[in-house]
Amino acid sequence: MARHVLLNNVEHKDLRIITTRSAEYGDKVMNALTFPDEFRSIQAHYPIFFGKSADTGGFQPLAMFGFEQEENLFLNSEGWDVPYVPLTIERQPFLIGFQQRSDVGGVTRQVVVHVDMDHPRISHEKGERVFLEHGGYTEYLNRMNDVLYSIHEGVERNKGFLQALLDNDLLESFTLDVELNDGTGHRLAGFYTINEERLGNLEPEALARLNGEGYLLPIYMVIASMSNIRELIRRRNALLEA
Amino acid sequence: MAHLIRKIVIVGGGAAGWLTAGVIAAEHRIHPGDGLRIVVVESPDVATIGVGEGTWPSMRDTLSDIGVSETGLIRECDASFKQGSKFVEWVTGDTRDYYYHPFVIPTGYHEANLVAEWRRHHASAPFADLVSFQPHLCEQGRAPKQNTTPEFAAVANYAYHFDAVKTGFFLRRHCVEHLGVEHVVDHVVGVNSAENGDIESLQTRDHGLLEGDLFVDCTGFTALLLGQHYGIPFISRKQVLFNDTALVTQVPYSHETSPIVSHTVSTARAAGWIWDIGLPTRRGIGYVYSSAHANDGEAEAVLLDYVRQLPEAVVDGMGPMRKIPISPGHRETFWHRNCVAVGMSAGFIEPLEASALALIEMSAAMLRDDLPATRDDMDIVASRFNDRFTYRWKRVVDFLKLHYVLSKRNDSDYWRDNRRAETIPSSLQELMRLWRYRSPSRYDFFQIEEIFPAASYHYVLYGMGFEPARDAVRGDFGGDGRAARFLQENARMTSKMLAALPTNRELIGQIRTHGLQRI
Repeated sequence: MARHVLLNNVEHKDLRIITTRSAEYGDKVMNALTFPDEFRSIQAHYPIFFGKSADTGGFQPLAMFGFEQEENLFLNSEGWDVPYVPLTIERQPFLIGFQQRSDVGGVTRQVVVHVDMDHPRISHEKGERVFLEHGGYTEYLNRMNDVLYSIHEGVERNKGFLQALLDNDLLESFTLDVELNDGTGHRLAGFYTINEERLGNLEPEALARLNGEGYLLPIYMVIASMSNIRELIRRRNALLEA
Repeated sequence: MAHLIRKIVIVGGGAAGWLTAGVIAAEHRIHPGDGLRIVVVESPDVATIGVGEGTWPSMRDTLSDIGVSETGLIRECDASFKQGSKFVEWVTGDTRDYYYHPFVIPTGYHEANLVAEWRRHHASAPFADLVSFQPHLCEQGRAPKQNTTPEFAAVANYAYHFDAVKTGFFLRRHCVEHLGVEHVVDHVVGVNSAENGDIESLQTRDHGLLEGDLFVDCTGFTALLLGQHYGIPFISRKQVLFNDTALVTQVPYSHETSPIVSHTVSTARAAGWIWDIGLPTRRGIGYVYSSAHANDGEAEAVLLDYVRQLPEAVVDGMGPMRKIPISPGHRETFWHRNCVAVGMSAGFIEPLEASALALIEMSAAMLRDDLPATRDDMDIVASRFNDRFTYRWKRVVDFLKLHYVLSKRNDSDYWRDNRRAETIPSSLQELMRLWRYRSPSRYDFFQIEEIFPAASYHYVLYGMGFEPARDAVRGDFGGDGRAARFLQENARMTSKMLAALPTNRELIGQIRTHGLQRI
């Protein structure tokens, strides 16, 4: 169960966060939400697929770590074994909350930091300190603030990005049949990717519009990321041999 | 010079007119070269509020072909999902008596003799519940898909319940705004004939003459062109299907969270049956009965009594009861000269298996696919159209009658009269004799597009306890355990789907808020 509370330097004076990457701290996940501004870093290691949110049924880009639920092929006993950890993983156990504030100018919605006090990373003995002795922000918390801010901006941008993909009919569903070295097969379904043929046939005006919005580069990043599927299969096969 | 078919005039809007316009326009729009024009002339009188109508799963393809969005349908037409029908008190009249006719065909239907397996080992279980997961979804109020399932795609085969009047408006907007259909709001006050007897033009009150090459009569019971103008005889089927009156009303839900039932509930009563269709905002309810077996007062009492016993309903909020006469039957022919009737102008039979809209879709699809290019080939197409729809009406009559023939109710003359041999078509009597020795199969229903597949007959026959001849039943394939494995597979699928599917109310709410994706 999650217990989300507003982060503050009184109640959470001694709060520490365990930053080790491990299954016991909730990292054994199949994928994580990402967004166009992060695609450059993501495509260096992970395939980017599109999946549907269970809450809204809407599309969202995902960095893929495995072929089935609770499989993370980038996680081993030593931790996360590629240098870039997606921001929506790094942010744990912090998340963005919103607060209504009444000012002279009316009611404004303010972005605030929440923390999930039931998250396994929560500690008081080990890990990174969140606040300095007299209540100031630690380097770590400053970093988390930046991470949350980037996610917030990025997720907002996903809406326009996905709408542009749908408007141009650029998403297509696909099924990935993986054959492993031991002869067993695995089918990954329910995900979507860029339809390269459609992209190649787009009218110049449509391409210019996508480029003007800054969507063209991330589209190509997604296409480039597909070569990481092979790396995912390699990692799964390596597990078989181990 | 050949007289090309370039302009189709559809008289009458409503679901029939706009479905026909949409189906033809969506196909022919993509061939701009043939220069086809479609005009719908619709009387300006405001339509009454629709009661709520049921459809067949074919409606998903029809709407998807027309190019509307399913999200739009759910949001604008008071639409919900329908997974089949539940027949209550049809067999014995006992309150625990019910069976399902779901839209999903039995698991393993084509691979094994599930009927034999059911009889041998599970005869006490309801047939549909054993061979299909869908009755379980219906009983538990589940939706046939998830919010991540694309538009028009199903986890469990489904159709819709919707407000037919709102759906007409919804289709009209799409046809006019996106498909190039012309819309004329006017009264048709006269029909002008050409020398050869074809309809040359229609006289309208405010728009003068409306000329056309093909006229589609979607004027409902009036049958303005086919009936009034051409005098094509009406063939009554009342001697087979007695119901000639419907008493309809609406009942609001007691709570915003009241379940939306995802099947049509059909409850047998002394002189007919009551439909109960759950739309997102209210229930549409109607008693369809035989006026020879019940008077108005008796019918009103039966309907009121039904409404009083409904769960999650505001009885005080019940709308007025509206009486609608029904003439069960159809025209002798449907396409005469350059005029074709689609919808109630072609015929109407009680809505027991929701065949009305399905027949409209089939008519529109045949018009679309077999649209004559010239006046010269029109008579050939017309003759085939007539053959095909004469066959289909016969099938509808037989299938509906089957429900009455199999009933064991003995509480009124209505039910006893329904089983009298002289009221049962010989074609149905013959099939029922055959089915004592083997189950309904595709050899009994051999047209490419049968209105009711053999699987539907399985659900009704075995749901109603049809008894085969003892020791002489053929077709016992699947004796190697295949049938048993399919029953197990069905049980597995049932629990998997129950775990994954939201309630119908939840899904409708999610679609209204977030919409569904097209892919």
